Amino acid sequence: MSDATVSLSIDGMDVTVPKGTMLIEAAKQAGVVVPHYCYHPSLPSPAVCRMCLVEVEKLPKMVPACVTTAGEGQVVHVHSPAAKKAREGVLEFLLINHPLDCPICDQAGECELQDFVFQEGQAGTRYADYPKRFNPVEDFGHDVLYIPNRCILCTRCVRFMDHVAEESVLTVSERGDRATISIDPAHRLDHQWAGNVVDLCPVGSLVSKDFLHKARAWDLDKTASVCPGCTQGCNIMVDTRDEVVVRLRPRPNLEVNRHFICDTGRADYRWMNRGDRLEEAAVRGEQGLEGTAWESTLERVAALVAEGEGAVTVLLGGRVSTESIGWILRLLSGRRVTAAMRVPLGDEVPLAGMANLALRAERAANLHGAQLLGAGADWHAAVASAPDTDLVILVDAPLSDTELAVVARAGAVVQLSTVAEPGLENTAVLAPITSMVEEQGVFINRDGRAQRFLPARTPPGMARPAWWVAANAWALADEARTAPATASEALAALPALDGLTHAQLGFTGRVIAPVAAGGVR
Amino acid sequence: MTEHATPTEPVFTTERKARLEALATRYPTRQALLLPALWMAQQAHGWISPEAIEEIATELELTPAYVRGVLTFYTMYHTHPVGRHFIQVCTTSPCNMCGAEDVVAALLDHTGCGDLGATSPDGRFTVIEVECLGACAFVTPILINDDFIESVTPDTVADLLARYP
Repeated sequence: MSDATVSLSIDGMDVTVPKGTMLIEAAKQAGVVVPHYCYHPSLPSPAVCRMCLVEVEKLPKMVPACVTTAGEGQVVHVHSPAAKKAREGVLEFLLINHPLDCPICDQAGECELQDFVFQEGQAGTRYADYPKRFNPVEDFGHDVLYIPNRCILCTRCVRFMDHVAEESVLTVSERGDRATISIDPAHRLDHQWAGNVVDLCPVGSLVSKDFLHKARAWDLDKTASVCPGCTQGCNIMVDTRDEVVVRLRPRPNLEVNRHFICDTGRADYRWMNRGDRLEEAAVRGEQGLEGTAWESTLERVAALVAEGEGAVTVLLGGRVSTESIGWILRLLSGRRVTAAMRVPLGDEVPLAGMANLALRAERAANLHGAQLLGAGADWHAAVASAPDTDLVILVDAPLSDTELAVVARAGAVVQLSTVAEPGLENTAVLAPITSMVEEQGVFINRDGRAQRFLPARTPPGMARPAWWVAANAWALADEARTAPATASEALAALPALDGLTHAQLGFTGRVIAPVAAGGVR
Repeated sequence: MTEHATPTEPVFTTERKARLEALATRYPTRQALLLPALWMAQQAHGWISPEAIEEIATELELTPAYVRGVLTFYTMYHTHPVGRHFIQVCTTSPCNMCGAEDVVAALLDHTGCGDLGATSPDGRFTVIEVECLGACAFVTPILINDDFIESVTPDTVADLLARYP
C-alpha cells in the first residue's frame, strides 16, 4: 500500500487504483461494468439515475458507484443479489412510461436501456393497466430532435450544455412522471458542439435529424478514424452501411477530444460518398488522355520525374496522408521542390469546458504532417510558382478558377486525384487515388500527435493510395529499390518518422514531434 | 392580496428590488433567492411570464433555463395568466365525502369559469382543486388568494364571491 493508491476488491477481483478514483472507474479496471445512465467520464456526476448502486461490505446502505471514492480494503459487490434487485427496481421504474418503440427507434442496438433491461430487467410489467404518459416530439435545434417519451432523465445533455458547452439552454422541467428535458424557449440548441448531446444520450431520446431512420445500428460497420476537418485531429468512428458512410461519431481519446466532436466535423461526411470518383488511370497520348493500366501510368510518372531538371511544385489537399506526402517528396528527391498544402481558413470554435479542444481555424487535417516533412511552403506562392516549373503534382487539392488558370501554364501536371480536375489541358497523367476513408494512413495534428485512420470502405475502380503510386514510380527508377507493401512500412521508411510503424501508434496515437501550435504562413 | 400590474412591467421596481436585496443578506448565494424572487414576480403580475423569468435570471445571475426548471418544479407558481382572484378548493377525501364537489360546482357556476383551471371571461376568477388544506374539521375549506376560508357550503358561495370584486 502506498500513499497514492488504494487496493480494494470488486466482485472478487483485487485492484489497485489511484486515490480518489470513483468505484465505477475502479470497477472498469477489475473488468466489471457497473450499469449506469447519468454517469459519464467527461461530465460531473449528479448520481440521479440510481442505476450504479453497488453493495459495499460494512456500509449499511448501497452506494452509487459514480460518486463514491474507492477506499482501502473495501469489498464491493456489483453483482450481488441485493445490487441486482436494486437495479431491477430502477429499470422497472424507468420502463413504466417508456414507450418500448425500439422497432422504430434509431438508438435500438446501441441503447443502454435496451442493454441493461435485456441483461437484468424484468420480462413483464406490473403497470399494464395504466396508460403511459405522452409528450410530443420537440425540435431542439438544427440537428437535434427530442423524443420525451423515451427519456430517462439522466440529465447528461443538461450537464453537457451547462458544464462543457457552457451555454445553459437545457433544463429539467416539471417533476415526477411529468418531468421532461426542456429548452429555454428563447433559444435553440444551435451551439456548434451541441450534436454531442445525441451521443451522450444513453437512450433514443435525443436523436440526430441527419441520421434519423437512415440505418439500424446493427447494420453499421464501424471503423476507427481521425476527423479530416481541421488540425485538431479528433478521433472518430466512421459508420458505414453497405459501403456508404452514414455518420461520423466521436471516438474517445482523452488526450485529444475526450468524448466529443464538433458539428462541423460530424456533418462533413458527404464527400466520402461522392459518385463522380475517378476510377481509371489515364496518360496523355495522341488522342488526349487515354485510359491505361497502372504499369504504364507508373512508367509515365517515373519518366516525367526523371527527364526534367527544372523545379517541381507539389500541391497537396488537406486530407493527404503523411505516408503520401513523404513518398511523393521522396519520388522527387534530387529535384528542386516547392510543396504546399491547401489550408482553408475558418473561424476557431472552441469547446468552452475542455482545454485545448476546438474546431481550429486551419481546416486541413494533416497540415502539421506536411510541415514536418518539408511540404509547408506558402500555398499561394507555390501556386504562383507553377508556370515556371516543368512539373506540377496535384494531390487531391481543389483549385479555384484563377488557380486553375495559373497551374494550366505549367510544363506538365500529374494529377493524383479522387475526383479529376477536368480543366487542366496540360495534364500528363491522371491517377485515381483513394480518399482517407479508403486507405490506412496517418495524420499529424497540431500538437504533433501522429494518429492513424483505417479504411472504412472499398476504393472505387483502380484507385490506390497516393503513397503507393509515388513509391512504385520511385521503385521503377532503380532495380535496387523496393516499394513498401503496406502503409505501415511506407510510414516507417520515412526519415522524419524514424521507423515509426502503425502498430506503435495504437488507437490513440502518439506525440512524435511537438509542433508550435497554430500557424499558417 | 395580489397587486396586479401588467406583465410587461418589470418585476424589480425600486421598492421590490430593495426588498430582494434585503432578503439577499439572509442567504449564502444569490441563487438561493430564486424562490422568493419568483414569489415577488407572481405577486406583482399574478403569474410568472417569460419576461419575468429573464429578469429574475439576470437579477440572480442564473440562466433562464435554470429558472424555468425550478419554476416548473413547484405547483404553486403559475406559468400562465390566472384570474385576479385565485380560488383553491380542497377536494381530498374528508371534504369530498362532506360535499366538496358541490362547492366546486357552485364556485364554477357563480364565477362563470365553467371549467377547473379556466379563467372566468371577466378575468376575475380561476378555480382549481387542491389536495388537503389541513382543515378537515371545517369542511369545505377554500383559499381565495391568501385568505383561508372555512366551512364553505354551496349556499354561502355567492356572498363570499361578492367580497372579491
